[in-house]
Amino acid sequence: MILKNELPAGILSALGLTTNDEIYYSVPYDITASGLYQKDAWLVVTKDRLVAYENGAVKKEYDICGLLDVKSENGVSCGVLYVVPKVTGEAEVVVRFSAHHLARFAYVARGCRLLISGSDERVKSEEYEKICPKCGRALPGTRECPHCAKKQKGLSSEIIDLARPYKLQFAGILVLMLLSSLVTILHPEVQKYLVDNILTDPNGTFGAAGLCLILMFAISMASAVINVLKNYSCSKLGTIVSTDLRQKLYGKIQTLSLSFIDERKPGDLMNRVLRDTMRVSDFMAGPFCNLFTVLIILISVVVYMLVLDWKLALLSFVFIPVSIGIAVFFRHNIHRRFHMQRKKEDKINSNLRDVLSGMSVVKSYGKEYDESVRFNEAADSYALTQRRNETFFAILFPIMQFLMGVGVYMITFFGGKSILHGEKTIGELMQFVSYTTMMYSYFGWLSNLPRHLMNLVTSVERISDVMNQEPRIADSAKAVKHRVQGDVEFKDVTFGYKTYEPVLEHVDLKVRQGEMIGLVGASGTGKSTMINLIMHLYDVNDGEILIDGINIKDIKTADYHSQIGVVLQETFLFSGTILNNIKFAKRDATVEEVIRAAKMANAHDFILKTPDGYNTYVGEKGHNLSGGERQRIAIARAILNDPRILILDEATASLDTESEYLIQTALQRLTDGKTTFAIAHRLSTLKNADRLVVIDGHRIAEVGTHNELMEKKGIYYGLVTAQLEMQGTKTDDTEARDA
Amino acid sequence: MEEKEFDLEQMEKETEEMLRINMLTPENAKFTRTAGGFVSLETGGEKYPRVQVVRMFPFTDPGHFISIRTTEERSKEIGIIEDMSSLDADTRKMLEEQLNLRYFTPVITKIINVKDEYGYAYFDVMTDRGECRFTIHMGGSDVVHLTETRIIISDLDENRFEIPDVTKLSATERKKIDLFL
Ligand SMILES: Nc1ncnc2c1ncn2[C@@H]1O[C@H](COP(=O)(O)OP(=O)(O)O)[C@@H](O)[C@H]1O
Ligand SMILES: [Mg+2]
Repeated sequence: MILKNELPAGILSALGLTTNDEIYYSVPYDITASGLYQKDAWLVVTKDRLVAYENGAVKKEYDICGLLDVKSENGVSCGVLYVVPKVTGEAEVVVRFSAHHLARFAYVARGCRLLISGSDERVKSEEYEKICPKCGRALPGTRECPHCAKKQKGLSSEIIDLARPYKLQFAGILVLMLLSSLVTILHPEVQKYLVDNILTDPNGTFGAAGLCLILMFAISMASAVINVLKNYSCSKLGTIVSTDLRQKLYGKIQTLSLSFIDERKPGDLMNRVLRDTMRVSDFMAGPFCNLFTVLIILISVVVYMLVLDWKLALLSFVFIPVSIGIAVFFRHNIHRRFHMQRKKEDKINSNLRDVLSGMSVVKSYGKEYDESVRFNEAADSYALTQRRNETFFAILFPIMQFLMGVGVYMITFFGGKSILHGEKTIGELMQFVSYTTMMYSYFGWLSNLPRHLMNLVTSVERISDVMNQEPRIADSAKAVKHRVQGDVEFKDVTFGYKTYEPVLEHVDLKVRQGEMIGLVGASGTGKSTMINLIMHLYDVNDGEILIDGINIKDIKTADYHSQIGVVLQETFLFSGTILNNIKFAKRDATVEEVIRAAKMANAHDFILKTPDGYNTYVGEKGHNLSGGERQRIAIARAILNDPRILILDEATASLDTESEYLIQTALQRLTDGKTTFAIAHRLSTLKNADRLVVIDGHRIAEVGTHNELMEKKGIYYGLVTAQLEMQGTKTDDTEARDA
Repeated sequence: MEEKEFDLEQMEKETEEMLRINMLTPENAKFTRTAGGFVSLETGGEKYPRVQVVRMFPFTDPGHFISIRTTEERSKEIGIIEDMSSLDADTRKMLEEQLNLRYFTPVITKIINVKDEYGYAYFDVMTDRGECRFTIHMGGSDVVHLTETRIIISDLDENRFEIPDVTKLSATERKKIDLFL
């Protein structure tokens, strides 16, 4: 996202930059104070000033050093940027903007706060623009615009790079294409010979005619064989290319940082791996496969027709725009109509899905009748659209064919006349008509090409957008393997998933090897975030994290990860057996190790209760296990390879109190000498922690042992007493949950 | 334990507060415009230097049931104004300014052009806030029917545009947005 735009010259001069003042951010805003759209309005932030320009004149101006705070506040589809000047201490509206600029101003506001705090750091945004600033088209989730990139060197070389490894196959296909166009053109030629030199010739013999027919038959056969071969090779190559792409993409995505993946909608990356690669292979199998054949045929046919009879040829060319026009019109209509039909179909589907999955609600409120009325309405409306579409095709298709044929009728008429005048033979006319029909249909086909090409270009752009992404948490050149001891230190760490919205600010924490740290705080305060940082799934924005005194960035990531064990809030099991799931972290673990881990996680006994024991297949995400059972398997997985740092993020939340207690005591033995970070909702679970760290308001609010914090009567004390209250007034329902 | 009991009381008070519906009237609430373009409120012996003004039913009843809220992140309701027209002219204007600041849903008055290309539709429209171009996704559910005739269109940036009555559009305009109805 662009935070520093080119400013119009007038504003630049009005700004009057001094030598040690420089522009940090310059962004447009699009709504006036009274809520009307406007253009030529800019907010400029320099090192010392914050200035709003409207129509080339300064509207508001503030000195950065005279401000307490700058904030961007989201409204509904719009936002305001306001400042709090030191003199008044009261919020003051500066500019208004539509949702188009919401994120941009959030970044700028954060940038201003940094400037106020005396830092000269610039906020950068890795988010992509949604609309291409150059051409105004929507971007399909990529940094570069597929349309504008076309003009740069990038894309065509991108496509050539894609094709390069398959040079040989491409050459083969090219030969087949040449052959295919040759036989297509040859056919009317032989036909002409048959008509002129044999059938209408008094000397023509039956034998010669037979020979000619056999030749024509052979050409048709050859054409069929060549086309089958060509289509086969194209589809095969398409599949190979897309499979290669798919594998490369998948491999690449695994090296990318989680933030890249987070920034995209769920399903977007899946679409790129599956759908966009499929589009490439579809293009290979369809348009590409015929592209050169069609071009060669078209060129030769046009030349041939001009040579045969240039007047007649020109006449037939007149109808090319008509045939293209009809093809475009027809396609546009089909597209529109199918789009509508699909929309109606979607409506029925979602209606049905809603009712079926909410059947118990529908029944319990006695709303069956109302729901079926609603469904009938949707179904009727769908049927109506469908019927209309079918009528449309039934009527329009013959008309269209007739119109397409008009050119041919004209040719036949004028050609027929010249036969009667003896200027042309019947065979020649027949050949001419064949070529004309061919030409029309191929031009119609060609008019489709831009759309296919654009689809391809968009897909290639979306694919190369991932491929060209730098792995953001790549191991630096000096990254080393390091045998982790277990000291962890946060040094003035600031981090946010979006840089304008910090989750943790200036966090300092020193954890000694073997300590057990309990992280406490209301939900959404950043406990899991702290753990994500310890796991080095994200890079900090500011400050550093040290493991045994070494910056976490200088440790080889894969090596580091193999030494930490993690049980996350959302336990994820892969589809496979329980055994494979436990062995995920350490493929070569012995049976004994697996059993020990399972016992320690209090999982051994329930595993043996299942008929297939450790070979029990757990489906996708472990659907056939209860939440508590899944968590116990995840715990076994985490402790299997004897990690140096153990992370438990609400690892025992879905367990009944008894199993939790058992696991706790088992873990106690295990965690001896290991650095442990534990998050738990039931605070009693954390009683044994060496230190408790309370996170509140983006910072560490309290640190100390249970007793110390209880005496302090701060946030922790409040949380504990609240929980005791709850337990007193409500019966413990957690047992029921693990059923 | 004494502290425990005290805490319970506190919790109960909070729950009570959460459940209470506090109606604001010209008699018990005094709004003032701040120099910075916001609004402050004095009510029940408390002074709020800045309050948020939020509609409860922005689509179906924008002029009634206005919630007046504190501005912090976990904002709390201070009170409810049942009917904007029961306020004196000055206060009403003040609050309407705040609503205007918070809600931005231009009403489309004329559809100049709609172009669809590669899965996106590009709109060029005239609204009550001036001319505007915006882009929506074709496949998604960016056009929402509030009623049979009233629609809300959300663009890629989640800007919202309203067409209060599609039947009031001209035939050519309707044809342009046919695809989305
Ligand atoms: N992947 C993510 N992308 C963006 N924001 C996130 C992400 N994960 C968490 N957040 C936000 O960060 C904040 C802290 O979340 P988290 O660390 O999960 O809290 P908790 O203390 O409950 O574990 C929350 O406001 C949450 O919305
Ligand atoms: Mg969490």
